[in-house]
Amino acid sequence: MTTGTTQYSCLIVEDSPMMRQLLVFALARVKNLRVTEADDGVDGLRKLASTKYDVIITDINMPIMDGLKLVKRVRTDPVHKDTPIMIITTEGSHEDRQRALSLGANAYITKPIQAPQVIAKVKELLKIEL
Amino acid sequence: MSSEPRDTNVPGSGAGKAAGPGNTVSGAPAGGSQDPPEGLLEQRNAFVQTFFKKGAELTEELLREEARLRDRMLRLESENAQLRAQVASDDAIRDLLSRIDQLERDKRDLLSRIGNSHGDIERFSRRFAEIEEENARLASLYVASFQLHSTLELSGVVRHLRELLAQLVGAEAYALYVPDADGTLVPVVSEGVPPKDLPHVHSGVGPIGEAFADGHSQWTEGDPRAGTLEAPAACVPLRAADRSAGVIVILRTFEQKASFVDVDFELFKLLGVHGGAALAAARLFARHGLEIASVDAFRDLP
Repeated sequence: MTTGTTQYSCLIVEDSPMMRQLLVFALARVKNLRVTEADDGVDGLRKLASTKYDVIITDINMPIMDGLKLVKRVRTDPVHKDTPIMIITTEGSHEDRQRALSLGANAYITKPIQAPQVIAKVKELLKIEL
Repeated sequence: MSSEPRDTNVPGSGAGKAAGPGNTVSGAPAGGSQDPPEGLLEQRNAFVQTFFKKGAELTEELLREEARLRDRMLRLESENAQLRAQVASDDAIRDLLSRIDQLERDKRDLLSRIGNSHGDIERFSRRFAEIEEENARLASLYVASFQLHSTLELSGVVRHLRELLAQLVGAEAYALYVPDADGTLVPVVSEGVPPKDLPHVHSGVGPIGEAFADGHSQWTEGDPRAGTLEAPAACVPLRAADRSAGVIVILRTFEQKASFVDVDFELFKLLGVHGGAALAAARLFARHGLEIASVDAFRDLP
């Protein structure tokens, strides 16, 4: 049955189970958003190969494949190149931010995260009315 | 001296009639003709002319008066109509003014309601933000607690402690001190600072030793990004069974973490209790495995 409500999907790529759980809790506040979790960049790419997401949230410092490599790969993928990407990282310097944004990230948030800030940024990327 | 007799009779009266046979005119010369005297005729004619002239003048005067009165009446009617219109217009203006007053009152009332509504909206928004903040804080505490107790492996507990410090507190440089066999505190885990730079600490000495000895957390009131070994940003004793099992020392926070906030103090409390319990449980588990809780232990429960 069609409800007429837009459904959104989000992929969280984060090696810390604690941070993933915290993000899942925070994003539960966004209506009609389905969240999928990935442990690292490779796991993220695996999930992107089978599904198109409306927004991707990724950490930078991760084993196997870090977040910046993931951003590069996503931006060169014709299917996902326009998908909004939000970086959440402990790297708070201006250079880190500029580097991430120049690679194609759309938003950059530093840890420790504030849940309302994450929610607001995801809604902004999904163009959901705040 | 004689005078001419006056004929005071009006024409048509019997006295004024032309003298007929046998009639005489009073005052007529005795033994004269029947025609009135010439003078009398002239007088009569003059009188008649005067009479008619006066009558004509009077008639003309009456006509003028009538015309004047008609004119006056028309003017009055016109004025009356104007006055009526004026009164009607005044009433309309009064009605309009009254309506304007009412509308002004309605406007003030609506503005007041809008002002109250804005106040309500701001109040609700503030309250909503507070609740969201509280939710986020509780979520952080729940997640930290959940993760700390999700494993009995010592490496797992230490990993979760690291994550909690870096991801939730925003600690850039930190160390975990535990007591060795003779009670000296030694660093066993560190991040953001070389292990060789971390000294051994005696219980009760310095901020680290004091936190271990008295079991109370300490933190700087200043900038936590500028903490040092001598004056760490925070020292959190890990408690288990009413004794300290170790101390988490946060030397400094990330650049973006300029101060500790309420949730950090809650996390310090949680770290102290749940971190200590998780660490003690992991150490016991490492030593005894699952043998520690035999069926007999449950039988002895009250």
